[in-house]
Amino acid sequence: MKISWPHMGSLEVVLASVFEELGLEYVPAPPNSERTLELGARYGPEFACFPLKTTLGNFIEAIEAGADTLIMVAGRGPCRFGYYAETQRRILEDAGYEFEMVPLTFHLGKMPLLMRQLRRLKQSASWTSLARAVKIALSKAYLIDRLEQQALHQRYLDRDKGATTSALKECYEMVFQCDGYDRLRRVEREGFELLHSVPKTERQPIKIGIIGEFYLVLEPFFNLQVEEQLGYLGAYVERNIYLTDWLRPSGNKPIAGHHDSESEEAARPYLTHAVGGEGLHSVGNTVLFHRHGFDGVVHLMPFTCMPETIAKSILPMVSQDLGIPVLSLVIDEMTGKAGVATRLEAFVDLAHFRRRAHRQELPLAPQPAF
Amino acid sequence: MKVGIPGGLLYFRYGRLWNSFLNALGAEVVESGETTRSILTSGVSKAENESCLPVKVFYGHVLALKDKVDALFVPRLVSVKKNTHTCPKMLGLPDMAKSAVGEKVDIIAPTIDFHFGLWTNYRAVYSTGRRFTRNPAKIISSGIEAWKEHGSYLEKLTMGVDHKQALEGGSEQRLCEGRELRVGVIGHHYNVYDTFTTMSLLERLGAMGVDVMTADMVPETLRELELKKLPQEIYWSYEQEIAGAILACGRYKLVDGIIFMISFPCGPDSIIRVLCEQEIRSMDTVPMMTLVMDEHTGEGGFLTRIEAFVDMLRRKKDRAEADNRVVVAV
Ligand code: SF4
Ligand code: SF4
Repeated sequence: MKISWPHMGSLEVVLASVFEELGLEYVPAPPNSERTLELGARYGPEFACFPLKTTLGNFIEAIEAGADTLIMVAGRGPCRFGYYAETQRRILEDAGYEFEMVPLTFHLGKMPLLMRQLRRLKQSASWTSLARAVKIALSKAYLIDRLEQQALHQRYLDRDKGATTSALKECYEMVFQCDGYDRLRRVEREGFELLHSVPKTERQPIKIGIIGEFYLVLEPFFNLQVEEQLGYLGAYVERNIYLTDWLRPSGNKPIAGHHDSESEEAARPYLTHAVGGEGLHSVGNTVLFHRHGFDGVVHLMPFTCMPETIAKSILPMVSQDLGIPVLSLVIDEMTGKAGVATRLEAFVDLAHFRRRAHRQELPLAPQPAF
Repeated sequence: MKVGIPGGLLYFRYGRLWNSFLNALGAEVVESGETTRSILTSGVSKAENESCLPVKVFYGHVLALKDKVDALFVPRLVSVKKNTHTCPKMLGLPDMAKSAVGEKVDIIAPTIDFHFGLWTNYRAVYSTGRRFTRNPAKIISSGIEAWKEHGSYLEKLTMGVDHKQALEGGSEQRLCEGRELRVGVIGHHYNVYDTFTTMSLLERLGAMGVDVMTADMVPETLRELELKKLPQEIYWSYEQEIAGAILACGRYKLVDGIIFMISFPCGPDSIIRVLCEQEIRSMDTVPMMTLVMDEHTGEGGFLTRIEAFVDMLRRKKDRAEADNRVVVAV
């Protein structure tokens, strides 16, 4: 059995380390590329969500690379994510691929089903070793998230463009290699040191928040590296979601530094009900970003995404009320990097201008942004 | 108080319920009526470009009422059946309406959720009623009356009464009259019954001598039976109805052909479509055509496709009958 899964930011490191720890065979899907998207768009249904297509592309490439067991999360609505696994299974079967889809259902009423699926995946490994592997993988993911956050906060200070990014890549490697908590603690120290040691220049930042659909926020290849682009444009960047924050069922978001209920509260004047996905939090986090002195918010939205479409129709009102510029980027297979770059540039200019015109300097929080 | 009911989206399912409830409470109800070209145009220009066609139409209805009323009635339907949801757009609808009209017009948006049964909605209904009257008995009797009206309206739809007639309380005009060919026109209520956005599809089919079967007319037991067979249950309330109807039509050959009506770019339907098309193909009983509508759909091309489909069904049926005759002769 060769297991594979779709890419989503640092998810690769987490799952690979679980299977590595358990000694199970896995085939990482080839890195996201133009071809991934092309395959996904070719087989994917018309106007299905963008992430459905890209992850479908991942699956096809993984099968080509020899995978035969595909993991996907399944669930319940109201947005489409819960039905991805089933839809993709049908599409891949129609296209004549041979594989087995294991949809992991994280839902209280479906616990026995989840246990069955996990048993199939873990094969002969024991439940305790599975739990241990998952635990350390989550610790790794938590570390990666904090390293990524650090990179977001400091990228604009790079003396040599790209230095932070390459340091971050090194960190990924270190984290992935390490086994055991002792090593992990050492890597944590080394990783942060590495990032801090990147040569810096003096620069006045502007603060930009990134909000939007979680897949698009977490997956740098398909969001056209907005984070990096913004960093190079001189922005101190913070995003509303990190992988481990997203995985937490409690709604607490220690890395982003707030609780879901806070952002729901903040959204209340504009949107009073959850609309699936990140829709409600996109609105709420815009308000929170404003409260924490951010100069602008970039909203990432896959074309046809339902929750974000709602957010997008409400955000102009928020933006007007609070006076914080919001740039909605609708991303699909046609979106060109060049076009996005120009828009980001113009947006950062606008944010700069408004900051000079309207606001006194706000002190920059050194670590968590809010 | 003048209350407006926008005639888009779920109006095509609960319009009668809402109207009679508000009327019984003593509100002055203003409806935006049928979709027109100008409603569509204003909706398209106001709504987000990425929205689906029905939401754009809904915006148009909201804008048409904006200056005529004191409040708009836009309930938030979270779930209409246990373990299901409506589409996210419907969850956010009142807030979207608010962003469209601004502060001037009040939005009355009771949150309706049937996940825990009918009675959990008592509070929402009651607080809506309190806006119009202080008399609890009146609220309750209005609610019951409206619910009865709604029941008889739905029943008419299941019997195949034309939607507009059912809405007005009549029951003469039928979609199904026992003509030789029968086509299932399946989709969301607003995708099937809105005469403007569907370019009078149902009427036109009638004029071509074709009986129409909508999702409402497919017996519920058959729909449920089909849904039970799916490996993963569908969690959207209305998509359950649609997928169940399509699969039942295919399995039991209730119709000669199916037209699946989808609006561009509908989220849930884009997913359900994969499922339905695959299942129908593997059943290989009746042909299905998927029609995707948006504000740019041209009438000419649309009609040609319908006519071609109906012709194909006719030929198929004739051939099958001819084959049958041969068998009888032998
Ligand atoms: S959040 Fe948007 S893009 Fe993601 S699954 Fe839901 S509808 Fe699709
Ligand atoms: S179900 Fe589809 S057509 Fe209806 S509101 Fe939702 S996205 Fe639009």
